Amino acid sequence: MPLLMKEKPRMAMDDAIVVDSISKYYRIPFEKKRTVYENLVGMFGGNKSYEEFWALKDVGFTVKHGETFGVIGPNGSGKSTLLKILAGVLYQDSGSIRVNGKIAPFLELGVGFQQQLTARENIYLYGAIMGLAKRDVNRKYDEILEFAELKRFEDMKLKNFSSGMYVRLAFSIAIQTDPDILLLDEVLSVGDEHFQKKCMDKIDEIRKNGKTIIFVSHALPSVKSLCRKSLLLSGGKVVAIGDTEKVIDIYHSMSG
Amino acid sequence: MVISDLKVKYANSILGFAWSMLNPLLMMIVLYFVFSNFYKEQTNLVIYILTGLLVWRFFSIGTSTGLGSVVGKPSLVTKIYIPREILPLSNTLSALISSMLEFCVLVPLLFVFGVGLHPTVVLFPVLLTLFFLIVYGFGLILSSLFVYFRDLNNIWDVVMQVGFFACPVMYPLTQIPGKYLYFYELNPITRLMGMYRDIFITGTIPGVMDFAIVLVFGIVLVIVGSVIFKKLQRRFAEEV
Repeated sequence: MPLLMKEKPRMAMDDAIVVDSISKYYRIPFEKKRTVYENLVGMFGGNKSYEEFWALKDVGFTVKHGETFGVIGPNGSGKSTLLKILAGVLYQDSGSIRVNGKIAPFLELGVGFQQQLTARENIYLYGAIMGLAKRDVNRKYDEILEFAELKRFEDMKLKNFSSGMYVRLAFSIAIQTDPDILLLDEVLSVGDEHFQKKCMDKIDEIRKNGKTIIFVSHALPSVKSLCRKSLLLSGGKVVAIGDTEKVIDIYHSMSG
Repeated sequence: MVISDLKVKYANSILGFAWSMLNPLLMMIVLYFVFSNFYKEQTNLVIYILTGLLVWRFFSIGTSTGLGSVVGKPSLVTKIYIPREILPLSNTLSALISSMLEFCVLVPLLFVFGVGLHPTVVLFPVLLTLFFLIVYGFGLILSSLFVYFRDLNNIWDVVMQVGFFACPVMYPLTQIPGKYLYFYELNPITRLMGMYRDIFITGTIPGVMDFAIVLVFGIVLVIVGSVIFKKLQRRFAEEV
């Protein structure tokens, strides 16, 4: 559980995240065994039933407090896996991660929303999932609805929401968690232009408040404008790390 | 989360929460007619069976829904980080609340049969707590194993069916031959059933041994369950 990991003395005070050569493999089964019966039968077979696929291999980097750190790379390079490990959803198979501060993963918005409940009830539910206490939600309730521009619909059931309204609501709640470290994975490609801009402004504001952001994206222009430092992943390995412009140049030369 | 779980469960039914009362009530009425014809001279036996059934329902419903509590909410496992123990925990809590409602239905029946409420009923929360530990422990073990073994629900169904007859739900303990009785009473669910019947029907305080066995069993289950769950949850996001 990286979130609860005790701070080690090695970690400098201004480091927000220290990733120390982590590796992660997935098992690609030759034959998926999902039942007790199949496992019992497989035990007598004796041969290994899966092949290892290394999604990340010896990835290491450090992000300082207040930094906006970009992660780029082609499809299947391990970006999402890396982010999921940082969020605590997946576990690395080797290496270690130290996190200093509260992480808010924006991997996917609206997880845990209940279609049958109203927007109001969902705000409390989602707030609880994202780690907000009830009184925090009470305090920020109006702000959430205002940001989402959904004040009129607060008592409507979520199943009648459009997908845009859905995402707006989710983003507005999630942004209220007041995290020290924000993990962003392509979530900004949602909503209309107006709301996208609003999100970008909000993220910019968070950035200016000295929060740490890890930004995973294919949209190189926004990476360039947001992040000073970046990491280029390919095939689960670190290709380049450093100034965003240089990293993007390497990325271009690699694919072109 | 528990509240929203219950809300979702009942939001779409016309009678809403009333269902959770009506279901056991209707079941009891049917059973009452069946058994009061069978055992004409022993009205207490009807209450005996009803109590046993309610105890059994909490156990079987709590564990079999607990089994699917992780697999049934894949997005909460793969898309976001929450302590995953919350999933079986919230499931067990909502089963606990359902069980409490069912026992509320039992109370008027106790008066109908002239048993009334004994002061020992104050021990009900204690028994519920003990029972909660056991169901939660099973929930932890089953839900984490179910992620990897998807036919576990079928196996558990069979176990529950055997368990239903292995526990004295439908028959009195006195019908068990003496030589088996010792083994029989090792079963913590049997003990719990006896304790529920003590406080509701005879109005006696259950023995210390009962409390001790059930409590130790519950605590061991929760500890073992937590260890298994912790170990298995590392690959939940990939396997769900």
